[in-house]
Amino acid sequence: MPESAALLAALASHLDGRLVDSFRLDQSGAVVATVVAQDLRAAARFIHEGLDARFVISAGTDCRPAGQGFRVDHIFSQDRRKTWIVLRAFTSAEDPKVPSITPDVRAADWAEREFRDLLGIEPEGHPDPRRLVLADDWPAGLHPLRRDVPYDIHPEPAAGQAQPLAPPPGDAVTVPIGPFFPVLEEPVFLKVFAEGEEVVGLDYRGFFNHRGIEKLGDSKLTYNEVPFLAERICGICGFVHSTAYAQALENAVGAEVPLRARYIRSIVLELERIHSHLLWLGIAGHILGFDTVLMQTWRMREPVMWLMERITGNRKSYGMNLVGGVRRDLPSAEHPEIVRVLDRIEQEWVKVIEAVLEDTTLLMRLRKVGVLSTLDARELGSVGPTARGSNRPIDTRIDHPYAAYDRIPVHGVWKDSCDAAGRTLVRLEETLESIRQVKQLLAEMPDGPIMLAFEEALPPGCEGISAVEAPRGEVIHYVMTGENARPYRWRVRAPTYANLQALATSLRGMTIADVPITLGSMDPCFSCTERMQVVDVRSGAVRVYSPAELREMARSGRGRGGAR
Amino acid sequence: MPWTFFRAKVREARICLSAGRVTLPYPYAPAPPAPGFRGLPAVDASRCIGCGGCVSVCTPGLVAVADDGPRAKFTWSLARCTYCGRCAEVCPEEAVTLSADFETATGDIRDLTMVVDVFMGSCNRCGRCYRTQTPLDPPHPRLQHEARVEAICERYRPAGAAAPTGAEVVS
Repeated sequence: MPESAALLAALASHLDGRLVDSFRLDQSGAVVATVVAQDLRAAARFIHEGLDARFVISAGTDCRPAGQGFRVDHIFSQDRRKTWIVLRAFTSAEDPKVPSITPDVRAADWAEREFRDLLGIEPEGHPDPRRLVLADDWPAGLHPLRRDVPYDIHPEPAAGQAQPLAPPPGDAVTVPIGPFFPVLEEPVFLKVFAEGEEVVGLDYRGFFNHRGIEKLGDSKLTYNEVPFLAERICGICGFVHSTAYAQALENAVGAEVPLRARYIRSIVLELERIHSHLLWLGIAGHILGFDTVLMQTWRMREPVMWLMERITGNRKSYGMNLVGGVRRDLPSAEHPEIVRVLDRIEQEWVKVIEAVLEDTTLLMRLRKVGVLSTLDARELGSVGPTARGSNRPIDTRIDHPYAAYDRIPVHGVWKDSCDAAGRTLVRLEETLESIRQVKQLLAEMPDGPIMLAFEEALPPGCEGISAVEAPRGEVIHYVMTGENARPYRWRVRAPTYANLQALATSLRGMTIADVPITLGSMDPCFSCTERMQVVDVRSGAVRVYSPAELREMARSGRGRGGAR
Repeated sequence: MPWTFFRAKVREARICLSAGRVTLPYPYAPAPPAPGFRGLPAVDASRCIGCGGCVSVCTPGLVAVADDGPRAKFTWSLARCTYCGRCAEVCPEEAVTLSADFETATGDIRDLTMVVDVFMGSCNRCGRCYRTQTPLDPPHPRLQHEARVEAICERYRPAGAAAPTGAEVVS
C-alpha cells in the first residue's frame, strides 16, 4: 500500500514524528495511525485539511478488559486514493477524555457526542456537549456500551437529565415539528426558528427509538446472527447493512468471498437502490402535494418487490447474507424474468424523467430549495445523493469498490445545482444507471460456489471496515472480532446520520413551507416506531401512552396543544 | 413556460392512463406468493431428532427447549419469527420447512405458538449427532454437555439412517 504509506509518512512528519504506532487494519487497505490523545486534534485537522480526507465516523471502544482503558477511533476516507485512515488514541480507564476534534472537523459533532453518551469518553472542548443518543430519563453516569453494563438493563427513570433545546434567536418564533414527523411518519423532533416565513435556525432532538443494536451485536448475538439484525436497521435498504457487516468481518479476517457471491450481492444491492429511488420520488411527490407521482412510482416499484420475493424469499429483509457469502443462488433460469421487469421499469422511468423535467410547478418547488453548498457538503460530511446533488463527486462504489463493483464500470452521477432539484435529478438518473449495472452483472456472472466454508473459529482482535453505497449514501460498518463467536465491537453509521447534520445549514433562509421537502430531499431514514412516547422537554418526564389511552385523550379533548 | 407545463401534464396523464387497473382482488381471491417464498416455519415432528440446531441458530431466539425426562419439548413462539429460514437450513433431518403461509395476523397468540414434543429415548443412537455447520455458529449449551453422546452417535449411526420416532406436534 504505497498510497497509504505516503499518507502515514505525511502525518508523522506533521506531528514531528510523534506517531505512536501505525499498521494496516484489514484487507480493504485501511491504515491505523495511533497518536497520543493530546495530538488528536492536530492530527485530525491535518488529515481533514492537509490530506483532504472526509470525516466518516468515530468509534469508541471499551478496551478495559485488555487493560488498555478506552479507545477512540476517528475514521476518515481519502476518496481519491481509495483509502481509509483510522486515527486512534487511547485514554485512561479512570478518567476517559480526549480533545474534541469538532472545532476543526464539523462533521464529527454527533459522533463525539455519541461516544460521550454511550461510553462516557468526554470530548473536551466540544462546542455542544449535550446528550444526543441517550433518552432524557436515562441516569447520568450509566454508559450502556461499556462492557460491564448488561444488554438487558432497565434502569429506573432518572429526573433532571433532560438538556434543553436551544432558545429561539432574537425575535424569532419557534415552530415545533414532531416528535413524530407528520410527513415522513417517523420519529424526529425539529425545533424550527422562524422570522415571519423565513427559517433562521433549527435545533434537533432525535434518537427517540434508539434500539441498542450495537450492544446486542457485541453481547448477545453471534457472527452469523448479526446479519439478520443488521438487515433490520433499515426497512428499505436492509441488504446494504447486512452486506456491510459481512464485508467488514470478511475484511477483518482476510476471507476471500467467492466471486459469484459478490456478483449476487451487487445485483441485489442495485435492485434495492432501484426500488428505493422509485419509493423516494413517490414520497417527494407526496410531500409536495402531488400524490399522482406517489401512486404511479409505487405502482412501478411493485414488480421489483415481487421480483425480490421470488429471488430472495421475501419482499424486504431478504435474509441473503451470511459471513462468507450469500445463502441463495441466483440461477440463470431467473435471469430473463429480472431483465423483463427491469426493461419495463426503464421504459416507464424514461417517461417519468421527461415529465418531471418539463413540469414547471414541480421544479419550482425544488429549485433553490434546501441549498447546500459544495463546501458545506464537504465540511458536514454529507454522503450519497445529498452530497452528489451538491456537486461532490463521491460514490463508495467508485471510491472504495466492494462486491463486484471492481468488475464493471460504475458511472457516478453528480449535479452542480446544490439544491433539492439537484438531489432529485441525481436519483432519477442513478436509477437508470442501476438498471444498466444489473443487466451487465447478470450477463457476466461467473459460475462457482456462493459461500465460503470457514474451517476454524475466527481469531479474536481482528478489525475490519466496510462501506456500502446505500440508496441514501454511504453506510459504514466497523467490526472487531471477539471471543465466543461474537463481535467485540460493532459500529454502524447509516447515511442519514451524516446527512441530517447538514439540515440546519440547508434550511437557513428557506420558507417554512419548504421544510418538509428540504428534509425529504435528503431521503432521511429515522428508526421505526410502533408506539408513541411523550417527553416533557423541561422536566425530562417520559410517559408511554397505549393506543387506547391516546384514543381516550383524543376523544375527551385532553392533550390538545401538544406535549405540555 | 405554459407550453412545456401543458406538455408535462399530458405526459403525466399518459403514464397514469397506460397503467390500467393494477389492484389485485385479494383477499377475495387468493394471492399465492412466489415460488421460493419463506413463510411461517412448519415442523415435521416425525423427523425431528431433538438436536437443537434450530435453537442455536435462531436469531430472535424463538425456539425454547425444555428437557423433561426422556422427552424434549420445543416451544416455537412464531410471533417473533423473522422468516430468515436458518432453522430449515441447519436442520440435519430436513424436518423444518418454511411454508407459503403468510397470513399470520391473529388476535390470539396461541395461534402462533407451536410445541414439538420429541421422545429422545435412551438409545446410544439417540440421533443427537448435530454438529454446527460452521465454526461461526457455537453449539447450543446442551450439546456441549453431551459431547460424549455425540461421539457415540458419530460412530454408530449409519449415514442417512432414520432417526428414532415418537415425536408429535402438540398444538
